[in-house]
Amino acid sequence: MMNLLDRVFGRTNGGSKEDAKSRLKILLVHDQVDLTPSQMDAMRAEILAVVARYAEIEPNKVDLRLERSGDGINVVSSVAVRRVNARMAAG
Amino acid sequence: MSECIVITSGKGGVGKTTSTANLGVALALMGKKVAVVDADIGLRNLDVILGLENRIVYDLVHVIEGECRLKQALIKDKRVEGLFLLPAAQTRDKNAVSPENMRDLVKQMKEDFDYILIDCPAGIEQGFKNSIAGADRAIIVTTPEVSALRDADRIIGLCEAAELPEPMLIVNRFRAKLVKRGDMLNKEDILDILAIPLIGMVPDHEDVIVTSNKGYPAAFDEKSIVGEAYRRIARRITGETDVPFVATEEPDTMWTVMKRWMGFSKEVAS
Repeated sequence: MMNLLDRVFGRTNGGSKEDAKSRLKILLVHDQVDLTPSQMDAMRAEILAVVARYAEIEPNKVDLRLERSGDGINVVSSVAVRRVNARMAAG
Repeated sequence: MSECIVITSGKGGVGKTTSTANLGVALALMGKKVAVVDADIGLRNLDVILGLENRIVYDLVHVIEGECRLKQALIKDKRVEGLFLLPAAQTRDKNAVSPENMRDLVKQMKEDFDYILIDCPAGIEQGFKNSIAGADRAIIVTTPEVSALRDADRIIGLCEAAELPEPMLIVNRFRAKLVKRGDMLNKEDILDILAIPLIGMVPDHEDVIVTSNKGYPAAFDEKSIVGEAYRRIARRITGETDVPFVATEEPDTMWTVMKRWMGFSKEVAS
């Protein structure tokens, strides 16, 4: 029913502008930061190594990206952890 | 008070020259004394968009090199009181002019004009540096596309680095139907990405092609929606607030709704 109403009123969600927007947001941050893809990879690997000293990580679930916030740029990283190993952290 | 505004974009082909010509016409129609300056040395086009190409004797480089006086090079538009064009040189390159030259030229022109609009060449090289040298502020023209917005962002950064206060944005070639079905970035999306104030939205319309064929900018035409968009931008330039944005939405008629409902219209992305 919503689909029909959307058709009647000419509304659709998630057109190609969403692609444009998400690509632009990444592009503009990278234009400003001027880090090469290999430098980004190196940063990702180093962050991974640090976290791995304290926790058992999922190596394939590491996300590192640059995001705009207000007038600055944030480096945002999320690392999936299987479990935190107390002995590793202590040593 | 006299003000020099540079019209720039980074990317080529987004409508800098068309915008400069139309804003020049619109400001002159408001009774202002306006000079439009083509800073695209070697690739001049503002003369053609204004339909003044047959009247060029001297150009900007002649003035800078002292071969003629400023007044001799300025071409008076006979269709409206107070509009003058300073054409670019066609057979020279951009290195014939320095930022210092442009600063001096603008200073001299400010004695005679209310507004000096500089049509900046594409790119971020010498031509851009020359164009912003004498400017008090910048208007950045973009279209709702990834490539144009990326370049606009770069230019905003360069304007800020050059201490041009608060650049403002013209979004050109806006297509309400594409926005409505989610296939074009809307006003809010663009302002969210670029984070500078908007001074106008110009619809994508055949008027621009037709008027460029004729050398008769749309701002002269009272019925043109493109002309109306530029006339409103001109009012905002002069400091008028509360100038409503042109309605770029084409209202649905009973017939277009029926067609869409019956599935005849190709405009529906299902």
